Amino acid sequence: MLRLDKVSVSIEGVRVLRKVSCEIIARKTTVLIGRNGAGKTTTLRAIMGLIAHDEGSIHLDADDLGSRPAYTRARSGIGYAPEDRRLIPELSVEENIRLPALALNLAKPEIVCRLDEIYTLLPELHVMRSRPAGGVSGGQGKMVALGRALMVARKVLLLDEPFQGLAPALALDYARTLGELRKHRPELALLITESSPALLDRVADRTLQIERGEILVPSTKDDKAHVHEV
Amino acid sequence: MSNAIIPLLLDSLASAALIFFAAVGLTLVFSVLRVLNVAHGSLYSIGGYVAASACLFIASRQLNPYLSFAALLFSAVFVAAIFGPLIERSLVRWTYGKSEAVQILITFGLFLILEDLQRLVFGVQSLYEDAPMRLLGTSSIGGVVYLNYQILLVGMAVLVVVGLRLLINHTRLGRLITAVVTDREMAQSIGIDTNRIFILAFSLGVFLAALGGALSTPTSGIAPGLGADTMVLAFAVAAIGGLGQIEGAAVASLIVGLARVLAIYLAPSLDAVAPYAAMLVVLLIRPYGLFGSVTARRI
Repeated sequence: MLRLDKVSVSIEGVRVLRKVSCEIIARKTTVLIGRNGAGKTTTLRAIMGLIAHDEGSIHLDADDLGSRPAYTRARSGIGYAPEDRRLIPELSVEENIRLPALALNLAKPEIVCRLDEIYTLLPELHVMRSRPAGGVSGGQGKMVALGRALMVARKVLLLDEPFQGLAPALALDYARTLGELRKHRPELALLITESSPALLDRVADRTLQIERGEILVPSTKDDKAHVHEV
Repeated sequence: MSNAIIPLLLDSLASAALIFFAAVGLTLVFSVLRVLNVAHGSLYSIGGYVAASACLFIASRQLNPYLSFAALLFSAVFVAAIFGPLIERSLVRWTYGKSEAVQILITFGLFLILEDLQRLVFGVQSLYEDAPMRLLGTSSIGGVVYLNYQILLVGMAVLVVVGLRLLINHTRLGRLITAVVTDREMAQSIGIDTNRIFILAFSLGVFLAALGGALSTPTSGIAPGLGADTMVLAFAVAAIGGLGQIEGAAVASLIVGLARVLAIYLAPSLDAVAPYAAMLVVLLIRPYGLFGSVTARRI
């Protein structure tokens, strides 16, 4: 579904990704594992078009994403929840979640339908929907960012280190939500980055390892690829 | 002294309204594009030239004089529609993310071009057509005769503050602008075409400047050099209010308007210095301006 082919990225002259090739498949949860600085976030940012790649190509089905500006990713159905949440603090939780719907100019019934789906999946968001996003805790903010990404994600959902900095109870909640999401939206292709493989053991269908900007284990089509020890 | 207070206050309000139109556009463009447009004052004077020419045309053809009110508004729309997208796409967009020095040099270059362009098109003589001011007549407030046109100016400024606040807090476009101001990258990720927002915000800034210039012509006419004067004043106002703050610009306009009028009444030779003295005092106490702070809301 989403295919990276020999993608190389440099930041200020330093190669951060070296010929990264991988495929993110519909109905599968792919976990990208790597240490801090290995290139996980850069991979997601390259997919989102937030950072230019020097060479290689990124395709969503037949569409060449590389030649299009960043804002078209949402239109293609790629949802993205960055590690640092990046909510608009002065807007309420629900206004933050609705923001992509405004940007994409979705019809009212469609917005209500997607919002219902998000609240079913993440009932805690419904409870705090009218609180300002600036006033929620870091962990709750991650849930809001997930909700906002789900408003967009029709085909692909990219989650950058969702467990980073979550309290153990919240992490468990989050993992359970990802399981529910699989059931509710089986067609989604999920790409989750994480530094520790243990956290996503039960969620992952496939595991990719990234080290110094290179993917170590080529993507396998097996349902249960083995997790390499870091 | 006490019987001079009322005309003093009313004069400072009208003068504040005109400064506000220039400053609010500057501050709006800065908060969305993060570019300080040094050529902003030229767009104020271009708005003035176009409006004065249109009003002179209406007077020379002896058309219905009330058309000149439409001419004032339409001149601003015209200038914004032509210069907004043109300047943003051809020059300003190349300065996004660049250092402030580059942004100021490029927009200063634009300022020089626009100033000469005005001399080329409109000549060096001053233009003056006061039909809109005469049509509205005068009122007597507390025994002091006052121009109704100046009251209209203050009303328009209030309308702009309320209108901008409604636009930003209660419309789809306003939400998208808020998202771009808060976090450009995230805005793109959720599907906002940031280039479109930049063009719209810049053109809105040009419209407000040109509207200020257009509205200033019936009372003070227009002559070369107005662009530079306006720019410096608008910057002082935006700095006092806190760059990027709409209500801040409104309050700062009142302060600068009052400072200027007080200087004219008390010590006319200090007229030109008064706005900067006010800016100095405010920035010494609040370095980010009255409404600005490192963490305050950004629009």
